[in-house]
Amino acid sequence: MTEMAILFDSSRCTGCRGCQVACKCWNDLPSEPTAENPYDSVNWDGKFTHPADLNSCTRLIMTFEDFEDERSQKRVGWAFGRRACQHCTNAGCVNMCPAGALYKDEETGMVTYDQDKCIGCQNCSAACPYDVPRYEDRGGKTVINKCSGCVDRIAQGMMPACVTTCQPGALQFGTREEMIALANERLQLLRDRGYEDACIYGENEMDGLHVIQVLKHGMKPHGAVENPQIPPAAFLSGIMKPVTAVGAGATVLGLAAMFGLAAGYKRDTLVYNDGNGDTISLETGEVTKQGNGPDERTVMEAITENLPIGKKGGDDHE
Amino acid sequence: MSKHAEFNITPEEQAENEAFLRGREVAGERYIKRHSKQARWTHGITVSCCMWLMFSGAFVFVPPLAAMVGPDVVFAFRMSHRILGVVFVLVPIISAIMAPAGVKHIIHNNICHWTEDDKKWMILFLPYLFLAKWIHMPDQDEQKSGQRVADGALWISGIIMGITGVLLLLNSTILPMGTGAHSWLLFFHDLFFCIMLIFALAHIFLGAGIFQPYRGMWKVMWKDGLISESDALYHWGHWARDVLKTDNGVIRKKDDEK
Repeated sequence: MTEMAILFDSSRCTGCRGCQVACKCWNDLPSEPTAENPYDSVNWDGKFTHPADLNSCTRLIMTFEDFEDERSQKRVGWAFGRRACQHCTNAGCVNMCPAGALYKDEETGMVTYDQDKCIGCQNCSAACPYDVPRYEDRGGKTVINKCSGCVDRIAQGMMPACVTTCQPGALQFGTREEMIALANERLQLLRDRGYEDACIYGENEMDGLHVIQVLKHGMKPHGAVENPQIPPAAFLSGIMKPVTAVGAGATVLGLAAMFGLAAGYKRDTLVYNDGNGDTISLETGEVTKQGNGPDERTVMEAITENLPIGKKGGDDHE
Repeated sequence: MSKHAEFNITPEEQAENEAFLRGREVAGERYIKRHSKQARWTHGITVSCCMWLMFSGAFVFVPPLAAMVGPDVVFAFRMSHRILGVVFVLVPIISAIMAPAGVKHIIHNNICHWTEDDKKWMILFLPYLFLAKWIHMPDQDEQKSGQRVADGALWISGIIMGITGVLLLLNSTILPMGTGAHSWLLFFHDLFFCIMLIFALAHIFLGAGIFQPYRGMWKVMWKDGLISESDALYHWGHWARDVLKTDNGVIRKKDDEK
């Protein structure tokens, strides 16, 4: 396997959203229904990001963040961000998927999926630190929809659809090693030009992402998640599977041992003479208890009194 | 015969006991009413739902099972999980509304004061499970101390499974609560599934009478709600003697009526 990666260089991005359109075109995804369009919605947050977030038919969006920028003539700066699956090496969603619908592509390391295997449990969304997985309704059945890494195109020697269409060359595709090297070159250039907050994102996050980003203005303006982690609850849920297996297995083994040790045991039939308070064994006719008082034996006496240890034959109070 | 059962029996007492045994042969074996029809139906429906919920849930919980049957079957199981999950939650609630006195009785039995016999029973329980032939357990009231622990665990697990299950259902349908809430709900659903599974296995082992000394116990919940005098004395000695003394809820069956 050769680890592949998409490089997003925010310093080259013009915010044209061509990548969003290319993604929709290649994946045959419709436009958002009007209700989800932020320009027509009461929930519009005043930003140019459109649609406002990923949704059931949008796998990639460009985020727009404006800020006061002293370098700019108009004192307004723009930070463009790429919001889509980051294709983590330590992909919590893949570990969480009970159906094997999400998996890592063996050829590229991209996190992709098979919608036909998806059971719609949405557990993957609980394990994603980037809040990426979305779900579409397929005739009453909910299935995952997110960036697939265009592994189908890559398998045919092409680049991901978004990369192909990027006119300013902000998106590039190649081996992960090459993309990191290019990112470092670009970072050095930006630093030399005085962009002190510029950084590379994706080299080490989640044990290495397959989307490497050069963030011109630092993480926050570009919408990058600082120090991403698999949510602790998702991590704990992962532990519960082996814990439950061990717990249930040990219980069954213990119960089997108890069953074996008690096999063949037959209790005396007891009856209670409510006239004088005697409890009587029907088989022997002997009184086993007088009255209804508390047990006066110690715990040790209760354990050892009938044990056939050091006795001739057993005495199993039958 | 165990040591603790060696008593000084006077000839008069012996005669009384012999007369009692002769009378018993004529009157028939005594049975105590332990569970009402409503309690048995509530238990039956809830257990049936619980079994299916555990079975169908396992196909989402255990990836190889899901892979074995395929996504369409798992999807069908998931939908049945949702429907029976709602039944699992609603039936005990409806039953509780129909019989508030019964709920009070159950709660009282489960959180009542622990006597010395209760504490001793709990300490002896684990050795007893492996040495049942030799260890004679202390008498118990209507609810054994171990039952209080086990039933309490099942009740609490069931309630938390029900609550988290309904919230997970709402989260993925009409009331999205975000991925953070989803992951914690899922974790607690999984955690209490583990607890419930372990206690349910033990409960089935004892309650269904797979364990030799508990043979026939299934009838109490799954047949007529009656327990024989002998079984009642063995499992809940203090309670059985109190009930037999008052004769309230006690019926007699001759051999041909059993």
